Amino acid sequence: MMGTTTASLIAVGIPLVGALLSFACWSIPDWLKVCAIATAVVSLGAIGGLAGFLAGPTEGFLFLVLLPLAAVVSLLGQPVHPLYRSSSVMTLLFLGLGLGVLTQNGPVGHILLATIGGLIGLLLYRHHSPLWPMSWWGIGTFGFSMVMAVAAAFVYPSLSAIASLLAGAVFLPLAPLHGGYLAALTRLPGNLPSFLSVLLPVIGLHSLTATIGVVPDGLASAVSVTAVVGSLYGAVKALAQSRVRLRLAYGSLSFLCLLWWFAASARGTGPGAAVFTAAVALVTSGLLIAWQVVRSRYGDDVDPQSISGLAAGMPHYAVLLSLLGLAAIGLPPFGVFAGFIGLLLAPTVSFSIALVCVLLVWLAASWYILDLVQRLLFGPRRSDLRLADLGWAEFASLLLVVLALVMLGVLPAHLFGPGAMPTTAETGWFAWMK
Amino acid sequence: MDEVARSIDIETRRMELRGVVKLAGEVIAQYWPMRTFVHHNPLHSLEYLPFEETVRRGKQFMGGDGYLPSHQYRAYLRSGRIRIQDLDAALTPLVRDKQVSIGSRTLTHGEVLRACLSEGLCTPVVEPLDAPLAESSQELIDRLAEKLAPVATFPDLRERVRAIAEGDQAALGRWLTLSHWCDDTFGTDIVRQINDQMIKWCEAFLDEGHATWPMPGREKGLYDAWKALAVHEWSPCGIADSKRKIKQLPEYPEDALLESLDLLGIPAKLRQDYLSLQLTALPGWAGFIKWRAEERDYPWQQLYPVGLVKFLAIRLWYARELVQKTCQEELGIAGRYDTVTAYMRTNPDEYYLRRQRVAGRLPALYAEEVDRLRHQKHDGWGRVIERYRAEVVPRQHAAARRGMAKRLIALVRSFEIDPVVLADQAPSDLKQLIDWIEAFPESDHGPVWLKAFEAGYQESLIGKLARNAREGEATRAPMISRPYSQSVYCIDVRSEPFRRHLESVGPHETFGFAGFFAAFIRYRAWGKEHETEQFPVIMRAKNEVREIPRSYFDQAVSKHEVRAKWVHAGHTLLHDLKENVVTPYVMVESLGWFYGLPIFGKTLIPSLYRRWTAWLRGLFVPALATTLTVDKLAPAETAEMLAAEQQALVRKALRERIGLRSSRITPALVEGLRQRALSGSDESDPALTEAAGQAGLSAEAVNELVGLLRRRYDLNARAASRHKERITRTGFTLDEQTLTVDTALHMMGLTNHFARLVLFCAHGSTSDNNPYESALDCGACGGNEGRPNARVLAMMANNPRVRERLRKTGIEIPSDTHFLAGQIDTTTDDVRLLDLEDVPPTHRADLARLQEDLKKASALTSRERCARFPDVQEALEETPAEAHVRRRSVDWSQVRPEWGLSGNAAFLIGRRELTKGLDLGGRVFLHSYDHREDPSNRLLEVLLTAPQVVAQWINMEHYFSAVDNEVYGSGSKIYHNVVGRLGIMSGPWSDLRLGLARQTVMNGEVPYHEPMRLLTIIEAPRERIDKLIVRHEVLRHYYHNEWVHLVALDPEDQVWYRYRPSGTWRPIE
Repeated sequence: MMGTTTASLIAVGIPLVGALLSFACWSIPDWLKVCAIATAVVSLGAIGGLAGFLAGPTEGFLFLVLLPLAAVVSLLGQPVHPLYRSSSVMTLLFLGLGLGVLTQNGPVGHILLATIGGLIGLLLYRHHSPLWPMSWWGIGTFGFSMVMAVAAAFVYPSLSAIASLLAGAVFLPLAPLHGGYLAALTRLPGNLPSFLSVLLPVIGLHSLTATIGVVPDGLASAVSVTAVVGSLYGAVKALAQSRVRLRLAYGSLSFLCLLWWFAASARGTGPGAAVFTAAVALVTSGLLIAWQVVRSRYGDDVDPQSISGLAAGMPHYAVLLSLLGLAAIGLPPFGVFAGFIGLLLAPTVSFSIALVCVLLVWLAASWYILDLVQRLLFGPRRSDLRLADLGWAEFASLLLVVLALVMLGVLPAHLFGPGAMPTTAETGWFAWMK
Repeated sequence: MDEVARSIDIETRRMELRGVVKLAGEVIAQYWPMRTFVHHNPLHSLEYLPFEETVRRGKQFMGGDGYLPSHQYRAYLRSGRIRIQDLDAALTPLVRDKQVSIGSRTLTHGEVLRACLSEGLCTPVVEPLDAPLAESSQELIDRLAEKLAPVATFPDLRERVRAIAEGDQAALGRWLTLSHWCDDTFGTDIVRQINDQMIKWCEAFLDEGHATWPMPGREKGLYDAWKALAVHEWSPCGIADSKRKIKQLPEYPEDALLESLDLLGIPAKLRQDYLSLQLTALPGWAGFIKWRAEERDYPWQQLYPVGLVKFLAIRLWYARELVQKTCQEELGIAGRYDTVTAYMRTNPDEYYLRRQRVAGRLPALYAEEVDRLRHQKHDGWGRVIERYRAEVVPRQHAAARRGMAKRLIALVRSFEIDPVVLADQAPSDLKQLIDWIEAFPESDHGPVWLKAFEAGYQESLIGKLARNAREGEATRAPMISRPYSQSVYCIDVRSEPFRRHLESVGPHETFGFAGFFAAFIRYRAWGKEHETEQFPVIMRAKNEVREIPRSYFDQAVSKHEVRAKWVHAGHTLLHDLKENVVTPYVMVESLGWFYGLPIFGKTLIPSLYRRWTAWLRGLFVPALATTLTVDKLAPAETAEMLAAEQQALVRKALRERIGLRSSRITPALVEGLRQRALSGSDESDPALTEAAGQAGLSAEAVNELVGLLRRRYDLNARAASRHKERITRTGFTLDEQTLTVDTALHMMGLTNHFARLVLFCAHGSTSDNNPYESALDCGACGGNEGRPNARVLAMMANNPRVRERLRKTGIEIPSDTHFLAGQIDTTTDDVRLLDLEDVPPTHRADLARLQEDLKKASALTSRERCARFPDVQEALEETPAEAHVRRRSVDWSQVRPEWGLSGNAAFLIGRRELTKGLDLGGRVFLHSYDHREDPSNRLLEVLLTAPQVVAQWINMEHYFSAVDNEVYGSGSKIYHNVVGRLGIMSGPWSDLRLGLARQTVMNGEVPYHEPMRLLTIIEAPRERIDKLIVRHEVLRHYYHNEWVHLVALDPEDQVWYRYRPSGTWRPIE
């Protein structure tokens, strides 16, 4: 029978091997993309097969599936171009490390978390521009997360929990430690923002789940207040942004802060939190991919104000973007709605000022997300824009996101909780092999 | 003395300003109220300029395109509608004798230009700075881009920046208002804010009875009414201290406008253009105000005066306040013309970056940097522009070279040359090709496409006519016997198919004539309170005609009137209940279900519902046969009629003011009061005293009542004189009738060989839920049905005394000829004959035969029209076609009850022999004219200066609505809302929409109406036409400025000639 460590190594190893193999087709971007996608698909299959053997995260099996799925959709949505080769390889690398964080508890997990933070910090440094001084904040916060993660691995358990919580606050963004998350979603090239928009909250929630129950009450209260304020801050900032990626980053920050508030109030997470995180992360990823579609046609640093009237020339794109928009503002039957309602109806939540703030955040999202979608799809149709509708890979990518969001919304939440994870080898794929 | 001089100076400035405003208003067209929709050229005031120049002005001032989009013309080219030879001919003036060898093939300049048109090589495309989405020929593109690098040079950024700043300095005031400038430079929304305010005030002020709560104080005029109300607004558009500022505005709008222009610092030489730009920001409302200001007799204008000066005074107040605020906040400078131009001159880098930021042309990072500098008021603009030059400009150049490479590949592919050969070409050759392409931008393509587009249709039409003329002369047998009937139809293009079909079903002769049938009348239908103007809007009428019940209906009339009054009262009550603040809450519960009947009826069974309601209406208020007051009243009759009306007024006053019952109102009392009120004297007449005493009225009460009659009931000598003058306008004298009939018959060429029945057939239409209903009626009748005109002319022509006089002028109408009036419904093709009571019994058989043939023609026309409806998939037989068009006419969800005048393209003035038997597809205005009947050239002069003008207006209305429906048309009907009972808005808040709806001219995305300039074809000697062109400026504008194409068939040599803009004739081969 396969051991937990072996299973974990396989899960982590497949993407890392895939990343190494990708270098073999470095000179042919098409092949490299195919190789990366194939690796992500194999990784997804392997997670399914290894489910029974992995030391699953306390949040449940959902995140283990979500990471390779996010890698697949983000890679599919990325155009083939020499500029994006490193993004593909880094995606696989981050996938492997992310799966490692989820499947490895203890110091190894913390070290892997620190590695992710360090790598993102390096990437941000690599792509730093003097016109974007905020990158330093990002580099700084990821440096901070790295220090906290390393500290968590080696200090006393009581301090370790606090250090781990602070490291998690960088990945699952909690204002004022959101600089790294914002920089990662707005400054990194290719498909990395769309993949990291899933990876970061997922591993952040993993840290949060493990520590929120054991941190001192005072700290939990402080986190709760900070989260509500951060959520409002994120919503207001999102409303004020004209840049798409910044708007999406602040929007997701505002939603993810709600999760902090919930976790700090309830002193724990649950299946609802996992669904909510997965849905918010996925919808952010989907919208970033949708924006990537526009950037691939009109330039990497196109000003969104110059793009309008896409609905007429890009009907498939218009439909999928509209669905993503509806999902993002929390309408049923998509996952954001299910997760949000799951949080609000939790027995630990009672009526308070914070609840009013939560509703305001929700309402604000309806405004800025629909405004974004409306600006892109409608308005005057510009004749000087080449309106090429989605290619099959882009279509598949966005469709997968929408379908995943529907599944998150319609399947019962307990299916995604820890209890739903296969715990014996009999239910696993490798058991059948045996 | 100083005071006097200042007063004169102020008055001089006001007068001067009014003149400037009048000239500024030239760029906007008048807007008639929709109930009398008048087709007109939206750029009519600029017809003194060449067509192409006017189109450019339209683009400059209104942002409208003057030609179809190039892709549409390319679709016509692919379908064969535009022929290659026509395209080459249109390109000829632009072609140079140069060529470039590509591989084994030589490409001439002309071929490249043609490829630019046919392949869309010049379509402006934004080339992204990065090209992540690889193209199929990416490698070749990159190689060519590299090859072009040494030869493709671009202006330095500094030069570009300077050119833009200088260009905008020159444009400011001429093509760009300060409000626009602020919006373009700072991303503000000043123009929209001002428009929203102006729409709000115009909508409220100009309302014509639609609003439940009308705007107060309208009698003071727009400017004063606005001032009175606007002071109560709290900081409109964020203007601080607005109450005080509005209160301090000058008393006269002229002074306020001058004050605003001075504050904005607009130089005197730019003021006209500047005001034009302000008017074209809302051409609909401004156009309606322009129309109303010129219609001084218009009742609403008399009640609530409005004019462009007042409109501009308000508009510029908002503009000056918002521009000042923005310039102060953003730049810390005054919002004036001179300070703004100085800013552009001294800070070109900053200005350039701001403009690019707002236009969305900066890469994202730079856009954010500009935002930061703007908010933090940093002085880092120079640093950013230097970085921009180093980082972005080279990428822009590379992107531009990639764009050139793509164009070159598309070019050689269009000649079926392998694009790989381009890689071996000399860079100078490649550059040559690029230069040719870039020297022919897409903005220059419109005129070329249009000429080629028009040439195809014109050649086909003239070819058909020429063949028909040749073959017709040879084969046509001379008419020996009398035709079954002769009928005269409006020149409207919709008459052509019906005339063709009527002629095909029997020996009927048809004629074309402007649908008002030379009867210039104001007409008041029976039971209506208002008159309609039944003549072309470019003319005036002095005669009035009323519809009255026929004399033998005395008993039925009073019954009818009582019932009609009940129906009217019911409608009024229902309307008041609906509009009241409280009652709708009760109404919904109690009467809401009642509205379900019409909703279900109109939706599910429209035809049946229409029949059922018509039956019900006929049952309750039966229709009565009527006649018209065509003859002038004798003086005694006039006096009698006047007295009767005045007596009715006195009776009304006695009932309303004194509360006297009818039984106590004696004729003596009424007459006494009337005489006393008219006399103006206060002395009491003994007869009146006695009659008043019998009625129980004291002397004081009588005196008071007389005063009221004079003041409130307008019963005084002056009003009586006015009223008498109006009554005397009713009807025509015998001379006038003779002249009208004589003119009409001569102009239509019907002076002999009269049939036993001659029908004057007007036209109207039927549609439901259609605010643009009047656009389907007769344009020559001022957007009304032409029925009254046809009846008037028929009654005149049947008058024996008129015939007697006509005989003296050479028109011998046989005694057995009877003139009939009728009306064709252009939506259902039904012809309804009118005044059949007057048809002599001897003509019953003729009438029956005519009715039968009209019915056949109607069915054939319906079948032909059905084939043109996009929602009719297969050809319908006659009966289903008739049912289909009837259903369309009553369907309240139908956005296209008929195509109307869409498709119009030509105007033919000549004998019917030229067109008889030809299927002209309902696209030609046909006016009958026989040059042999017009030795003095007078009739042709009238035709060219009146009906042709109307046809050109119709043509241009359709042209511009089709080429740019959003700007010159009124957009989709789906979003239309009626506003103020005078026009249409898109949605709840917009400018008054001009022009025709999208559904009227477009079939989906493709134009149904092919936008072409009118082709006028005249069958007359050329020298006669030349004389008229010399005499009339309007004709010179049309033909020399290429608004209208002119072709003549010269009867003397039977050769077709085309008139050229240079004023010469060229034979058509």
